[in-house]
Amino acid sequence: MTDFNEIKETLVNLDEQRLIQLVNDALEKGIPAGDILNKGLIAGMDIVGEKMENEDMFIPEVLMAARAMGKGVEILKPLLGEEETSARGSVIIGTVKGDLHDIGKNLVAMMIESAGLTAHNLGVDIAPEEFVRMIKEKNASILCLSALLTTTMPMMKQTIDAVVESGLRDQVKIMVGGAPVTQAFADEIGADAFASDAGSAAKTAKALVNQF
Amino acid sequence: MNLMGLQGGQYCPLSPEQIKIVHEASLKILERTGIIYEQGLEDTVQMLEDNGAAIDRDRKNITFPRDMIIEQVAKAPEKVVLCGQDSKNDLHLTRNRVHLGTGGAAIKILDPETGDSRSTTLKDLYEVSRLVDKLDNIHFLVRPCIATDIDEADYDINMFYACLAASSKHVMAGVNDEKGLHNVVEMASMIAGGLDKLIKRPFISVITSFAISPLKLCTQSTHIMQEANRCRIPVALSSAPMAGSTSPLTMAGTLAQLHAEQLAGITICQLTQAGAPVLYGGIPGMANLKTMGYSGGAVECGMMNAAIHQLSNHIKVPNYNSSGLSDSKVPDAQSGYEKAFTALLASMGGSNYIHHSAGMLESMLTIAYEQYVIDDEIIGNCCKVLKGIDCDAEHLALEVIDSVGPGGNFMTAPHTMAHMRTEYYNGNGVTDRKSREKWEQEGSRDIRQRALDIAKKLLAGPKTLYIPEEIDRVIREKFNILLEIQ
Repeated sequence: MTDFNEIKETLVNLDEQRLIQLVNDALEKGIPAGDILNKGLIAGMDIVGEKMENEDMFIPEVLMAARAMGKGVEILKPLLGEEETSARGSVIIGTVKGDLHDIGKNLVAMMIESAGLTAHNLGVDIAPEEFVRMIKEKNASILCLSALLTTTMPMMKQTIDAVVESGLRDQVKIMVGGAPVTQAFADEIGADAFASDAGSAAKTAKALVNQF
Repeated sequence: MNLMGLQGGQYCPLSPEQIKIVHEASLKILERTGIIYEQGLEDTVQMLEDNGAAIDRDRKNITFPRDMIIEQVAKAPEKVVLCGQDSKNDLHLTRNRVHLGTGGAAIKILDPETGDSRSTTLKDLYEVSRLVDKLDNIHFLVRPCIATDIDEADYDINMFYACLAASSKHVMAGVNDEKGLHNVVEMASMIAGGLDKLIKRPFISVITSFAISPLKLCTQSTHIMQEANRCRIPVALSSAPMAGSTSPLTMAGTLAQLHAEQLAGITICQLTQAGAPVLYGGIPGMANLKTMGYSGGAVECGMMNAAIHQLSNHIKVPNYNSSGLSDSKVPDAQSGYEKAFTALLASMGGSNYIHHSAGMLESMLTIAYEQYVIDDEIIGNCCKVLKGIDCDAEHLALEVIDSVGPGGNFMTAPHTMAHMRTEYYNGNGVTDRKSREKWEQEGSRDIRQRALDIAKKLLAGPKTLYIPEEIDRVIREKFNILLEIQ
């Protein structure tokens, strides 16, 4: 157990070199890769997410943590069983049509990945039908829509409507976010959840996946 | 981030030509109008006469030849180092080096529990001093309030004691009389390990309001000032006329009269003890012509305090002045902008020792724990302005721009990580930049509530005893120390 604490702390302290060392050490000691991932890296990122939510960490630091975590996952990936990799929820994320804002949405995608889910980041200016197509293709359980402009917020509603029309609405939980978006707006357009920052978005996504 | 002693002088309300005009006007005031004195200063007057001043003993008036003033003022040190008990708090006062701290002799405090105004106590003085000790941007501790719950006879020693026990920053205050001065110097010498060590590292200094504007010497304070000179204890020569009542209504007239008062005061000090460490203590203020009260928060106070530093810098004597006051009764938008305006102007003027810039409300009448936290933030911002914009290769970041390339982002660049804690002012936590949701979740607290929370958290920490126990025992045997530290 001590090893996991050290892995978590090292991740929070952004020491990438040391983290890689600790992951390799743990494997050598015969600790299962799945445990290192879930109890070490993902648990560490949960702390990072919480610190981010409380504004105790700068975003560049969060990104560094996510990068360090990614390096750790790379080592573990070949050793993880089929079940452990496929059990991860599949998330489609993108910025809605007409909106070109990228950074915040990428941050959410990164935090979702760090929470142990698989994020398919479609990019910006994504049409409703493209979202629908990708939900089918990736058999996604969560759809995350981003908008920064008040003028593109209605496009979130149109995208949700397109999902309903396609008959996929029962298959996916829909999350919305972006600076002007509020819980009230999310309720109004029929989304399942709203998150105000990337840390809580990842937490919410994880909770939604566990509902399935 | 240590932002103490940065270079000001970016804001120059007086042009070089205007500085000369005012300086000449002040010399003319001393030559023609002169200053007056009252009974009890015969020795001082005799000393001035022996060195060239003309005395009219019937009118009790002293006039000064300009050469005499110029000669004596030149003896004042260009740099005065005011130390802290901890050397990291040493203040190097010279040229345009800027420091800001507390001030005043407030008699009321906003009670941290009720929020209402009540009389200040010895415990408040100690606790506020502890708070100041923990706020990084407040560079020194001028006794912030009066302990109204103790006898006046016990003031001097107890107020210095409370400040020195609570903080390792430089402590400055006034004293009631020469005996009080001697007691305070004796106590400080005990802490320093001898008078010679105290003189070498003066972690206390005194304020003497030697001049009663316009142009009159205060007998008692002049005695204290001269005694401090003889003891080699640094002294701030406070004189604080209010435009419209105790100086001309106009800013230039106020500056000319005030500069004259300072030139006379510095002359007395240097004749008493050549080379005595003094701070030019001109504090230009404004009368509220509707009430004749003090308008501490007026933007012109900031302008005039910047200008008075230009005049002190002109004669190469480091200065003590005032900014960061507000006429508001509570921490609110008015106190925020009045403090920010005046503190920034005085800082950008290059003032060396700006007191009154933390904790005060209602001009100089009231203090509040939460206001110290807010003002710490304002001072931090002022100092950040002085720090300016670094333009060296590392800060120009051409390599980073090239490696990130068009269309990329800088969030994960090592350059970002390397500079993100130092390039921008990070604050003490009182400033709200959260999302509305988060802010509402945390109770929709305004700045006053947030600041009070920070103050309480800081004060809940352990009490550092800056006076070592064995010395404290000896001090308590010798003096009537009333503060009980639990």
